[in-house]
Amino acid sequence: MALAIARKDALAELRGRHATVSTLFFAAIVLLLFGFALGPDSARLAAAAPGLLWLAIVFAGILAVSRLHLLETDDEALEQLALYPVARRAIYAGKALGGLAVMLVLGLLVLGAVGVLFAVDIGGALLPLLLTVILGAIGIAAVGTFYAGVTVRLRAREVMLPLLMLPVLAPLLLGAVKATTAALTGDPFGELASWLQLLVAFDVIMVAAGAATYGYLLED
Amino acid sequence: MPQTIYVSPRSLGAFDERPPAVVTADLARLFAGSPALAGVSLRVDAGATVALLGPNGAGKTTLLRLLATVIRPSYGTARVDGLDIGREPELVRARVAYLSHATGLYDDLTARENLAFAAEMLATPDARHRVTRALEDVGLAGRADDRVRGFSAGMRRRLALGRILLGSASLVLLDEPYAALDADGMALVDQLLTAWRDAGVTVLLTSHAPERLAVTIDGSVVLDRGVVAETRGNGVAELPSALDVPSATPARQVVS
Repeated sequence: MALAIARKDALAELRGRHATVSTLFFAAIVLLLFGFALGPDSARLAAAAPGLLWLAIVFAGILAVSRLHLLETDDEALEQLALYPVARRAIYAGKALGGLAVMLVLGLLVLGAVGVLFAVDIGGALLPLLLTVILGAIGIAAVGTFYAGVTVRLRAREVMLPLLMLPVLAPLLLGAVKATTAALTGDPFGELASWLQLLVAFDVIMVAAGAATYGYLLED
Repeated sequence: MPQTIYVSPRSLGAFDERPPAVVTADLARLFAGSPALAGVSLRVDAGATVALLGPNGAGKTTLLRLLATVIRPSYGTARVDGLDIGREPELVRARVAYLSHATGLYDDLTARENLAFAAEMLATPDARHRVTRALEDVGLAGRADDRVRGFSAGMRRRLALGRILLGSASLVLLDEPYAALDADGMALVDQLLTAWRDAGVTVLLTSHAPERLAVTIDGSVVLDRGVVAETRGNGVAELPSALDVPSATPARQVVS
């Protein structure tokens, strides 16, 4: 059932491109503006690259999960989704999988853009960087799906979603930036594994919490 | 539109020979402290087609939404096929189909894709065939591969009715099923009501046009300000309130 929901979201996204186009533009603008603000100093840009990478992914990710949930506001589709005789955690898993797919596309493209714009050698640490992006994407999708469910019926959802998500995402942002920095600098202090473990723990907790509580959001 | 509409058969006999499909006991729901439903105790027989009548704000939609498990009761209980809507909502959902004012369709998907998704969620056997058949039954076979975004309100309503045909609900709840439909669409609803009756499916529907329903319903309930004002015909009866004892406060006063 979760796969059916994720497939439906992917199909609607391919048709409407509600999430990908706007979030990719947003991520690109974030990177360019920070790049301009930091100036042409390549060493400075390279040092800031991990932070900028994850700021772009997190900000654009919030936009992406919000857009994906807006699909469910088409003529009260979320209410219909809640009426199907399936477990609530399957609905959460389906929406989170859809969010994860968009986040992975977004993360990989932003990673590539950071490599080009900030002259960072991504190829030298591709595996740990990919792992960091995947773990970060899972965490953002897990948290975003839950809070998008909280805010989807609110008029001020565009304001409320980042206000609710960003404090919760702080540990993920910290771990992902540190893991990316460690990967790009060759992990001189051997801390990469610890930061990746933090990301894994964050993902496990957030997926479990989201699956356990999302169902309550569907009830009135 | 084919001669006969395909409905999953549920028939076990005449509606008065089976356990009741719906039993409510002092069922009430408050919104912002005000009772939309103020203590309804009803029995609806299995296989019966029953209309919920009454003015705007009488509680008709609230009663349907409670039985569909869209909202939870503030007070009282209800059972669908013996299952408590508050304690066993997932099991209730497997037995109930609900057509609300909204259609719950995805604008960026085609009519066929919308029904195919519903068929997956309902675990409909032989889904591909059933989706095609449902599209034919509701008169949308010619628009099956068009996106729903371009559909009129009436076409969306037909498609939402087609979605109900994919399941095997024993209780169908229809909120204003004739709304937004043209003459052909209204005739389709009449056909569906007949098909569900023949298949032994219990139907509870609201309508502001009771004259249209005269030949298709077994009985009716008139609600007024959240309580039962009157029951008419067969297949439905008002039950005594559990709170209608001298030492207790009547439900409608409790929630008022």
